[in-house]
Amino acid sequence: MTRLEDIAHRHDEASALLTEGSRVPAGAPILELKGLQKNYGYVQALKPATITFLAGEIHAIVGENGAGKSTLIKLLTGVITRTAGEVLWCGHPVALSTPNEAIARGINAVHQEVVLCPHLSVAANLFLGDEVERHGLMRKRQMEKMAQSVLDDLGFYLPAAAELGSLTIGQQQLVATARAAMRGTQFLIFDEPTAYLTRQESAQLFKLIRRLQSEGVTIVYISHRMEEVFELADRVSVLRDGTHVGTRAIGETNENELIALMINRSIEQIYHKEDIAIGAPILEARGLTGPGFEDISLTVRAGEIVGLYGLIGAGRSEFALGLYGRQPLSAGEVHWMGRKVKIRNERDAMELGIALAPESRRDQGLCLNLPIGLNINLPVFGRLSRGPVIGRAEEAANADRQIRDLAIKTPSRRVPASSMSGGNQQKIVIGKWLSHGAKLFIFDEPTVGVDVGTKAEIYRLFAKLLKEGAGIILISSYLPEVYELADRLHVFRGGRLVGSHDFHAATHEDVLGEAIGV
Amino acid sequence: MTITTTESPAAAPRRGMNILFSLTLIGLLLALWIALGIVTVSFWTPLNISNLLRQGAMTAILAVGQTFVIITAGIDLSVGAIVGFSTVILAWLLQAGVPLWIAIVITLLMGVAIGAFHGFGIVRMGLPPFIITLATLTSLRGVGLLITNGSTISINNEGFTNFARADFLGIPSLFWMVILVAVPAYVFLHLSRWGRYLFAVGSNSEAARLSGVNVNRTIYMAYILSATCAAFVGVLLASRIGIGNATQAEGWELQAIASSVIGGTSLFGAVGSVHGPLIGAFILATINNGANLLNVNSFWQRIITGLLIIVIVYFDQLRRRGSR
Repeated sequence: MTRLEDIAHRHDEASALLTEGSRVPAGAPILELKGLQKNYGYVQALKPATITFLAGEIHAIVGENGAGKSTLIKLLTGVITRTAGEVLWCGHPVALSTPNEAIARGINAVHQEVVLCPHLSVAANLFLGDEVERHGLMRKRQMEKMAQSVLDDLGFYLPAAAELGSLTIGQQQLVATARAAMRGTQFLIFDEPTAYLTRQESAQLFKLIRRLQSEGVTIVYISHRMEEVFELADRVSVLRDGTHVGTRAIGETNENELIALMINRSIEQIYHKEDIAIGAPILEARGLTGPGFEDISLTVRAGEIVGLYGLIGAGRSEFALGLYGRQPLSAGEVHWMGRKVKIRNERDAMELGIALAPESRRDQGLCLNLPIGLNINLPVFGRLSRGPVIGRAEEAANADRQIRDLAIKTPSRRVPASSMSGGNQQKIVIGKWLSHGAKLFIFDEPTVGVDVGTKAEIYRLFAKLLKEGAGIILISSYLPEVYELADRLHVFRGGRLVGSHDFHAATHEDVLGEAIGV
Repeated sequence: MTITTTESPAAAPRRGMNILFSLTLIGLLLALWIALGIVTVSFWTPLNISNLLRQGAMTAILAVGQTFVIITAGIDLSVGAIVGFSTVILAWLLQAGVPLWIAIVITLLMGVAIGAFHGFGIVRMGLPPFIITLATLTSLRGVGLLITNGSTISINNEGFTNFARADFLGIPSLFWMVILVAVPAYVFLHLSRWGRYLFAVGSNSEAARLSGVNVNRTIYMAYILSATCAAFVGVLLASRIGIGNATQAEGWELQAIASSVIGGTSLFGAVGSVHGPLIGAFILATINNGANLLNVNSFWQRIITGLLIIVIVYFDQLRRRGSR
């Protein structure tokens, strides 16, 4: 018996709920979803889905951003409760209403962002909530020894005494996986685990996943990277716009079929690109350097979409924040309409005519617990005021106009922004900048977590802005989006510009290769 | 890829909820008044009512200033110390022969300076509001004691000390001071863009910054307003007790925070009003006043205040959760 099984065994004995799971023979249904459904406010995030997971399989779930993958995971791990439907665990209906219930039954998830305590040691994190004690005192050295043997056993070359926060995200993710494995997990969900990992770390993770599978753990693997799905999975389910559109055995399908299921429409239909004449340069960046990016030179002209592609952390958002005056620039020049300018802070940028719809709506884009109207008006209160006092009628009219023009689905401008779906929240961020007006719009990941309908609306809006003579910088980690929309596509890697292409001048493979660095 | 929606089916418009909450508070205040009117004979006497208004007035002004800070998701622990310190500065200036009006203006400017120092500590030095205001709380008491050498300075300006006892149109002058502060404060918080910026900074300062709000200036403003309100209360207190003493107004910062929280301000920021803390301050004053009339041990008053804070904030939490 390996150390891992030994420690997992300790947990098995402790938990009666767990042994229930281990009775299911490999290949029999372990978790069945029957008409599982979730509504968020006005939005159906997951339409009734019926999916069966078989014990011991690796089951991939694929879908575009906003297809309902995250909702599904949150339902299975008890983070949110379902609106309707039934879940059978080992043939018995279960509530899965709290995270603790899911964990007690042996359902665990490893998230893209690690949710552990960065200031504690690896060993302390592995044993968190389940410390080894004698007479009420922790057996720190024993835990460290046990943790080390688990790590060695899994083939991770990590010191158990190291502080978790000092490790790379990839290593932290391995720790999170080891933690789930130690808890005698029967059913382990990976949510886009490789988003932040290097190739080597990904390979190590895959090895671990296969090993867990060989020990009888059922794996759900969520990703939008096709090559990973075909490398790992036994079966694959496809989600689209919150609908489960099919499940296939991996040997009976191919990449094209899956992509067709995921989008179900031709690329021209989603990506709305009109022929718009490109005019004079609006912005020229020359050798811009700042925190997270180095020596970036690019030009944005009127009527042009400039796409910035790269993996997460490649320096695109940092460049945008630097350009916008949020982060200080250490070198380089910015020319605005042919004139050299200095952008010291956000207000300088706004005054010139730059607008930024930032990467994270939650952290940077919106005051979530404040009304929609306040969010929309935030940049323009100066204009809406007479003397010190805000014109209440102007305030209402401006907010209502954006709500109407952008078709934000809300009963009132007084509703807090937090009650809106991702797509509607993105529209609020955009509405803020439309009412302010700008010459250059920077959209950082504008369609993440946004439903397909809204996506199309956002793309149509791009065309409208371009026709009015604006320029757009579009930052996206989703290659088809920048590939189909950008007049000029720049590729970032490690904070540097590593490639620049005109519309459709390079293949997907070329661009991806530059971004990954092969 | 995350879904950024939260659990919120059809949230009701905010304004309706706020009115409901204010009405509940006013209802509570009226219920207290009616109950005290029934069980004591002396509650509804003109003397007691004007006493009550005087007691509540100073906490009410502190609570309004405090609310500006709390809306930005900060806290100002120094207000009690500023009140005591201001009485010392004012008495000291008067003793040195400085004309009254100039002494008052200098005292208020000193409040502005202390608030600006708090803003500097938070914005430039990156200190948590709790720490920087805790530090000034203890140091200001120390500076005040140094100036007075641990004793008190009496104020001999009769016109000034009569002010706190005076009435105007049958209402105590101190209560008029509440109105003098509350009306511009209401315009500032609810009708001007600066007020909106306070809420935006308290809700998400990064989003506010990226929307062109001058976040640093907004934080400076909140702490300057709070400290200036406290200095103003110091002037009023000096008038009421006729002395300058650095140990006065001990624990008033907690009274101010309690009034603000009872009045519906969220310590997490971005929720609050001007009228809420005013009502909260008078609820607290009524409880103290009623307890005195009923001969309840003053130690019990502290316990009751503590319990009241828990009950009111708990119900407010339930209400918010319910509306979500």
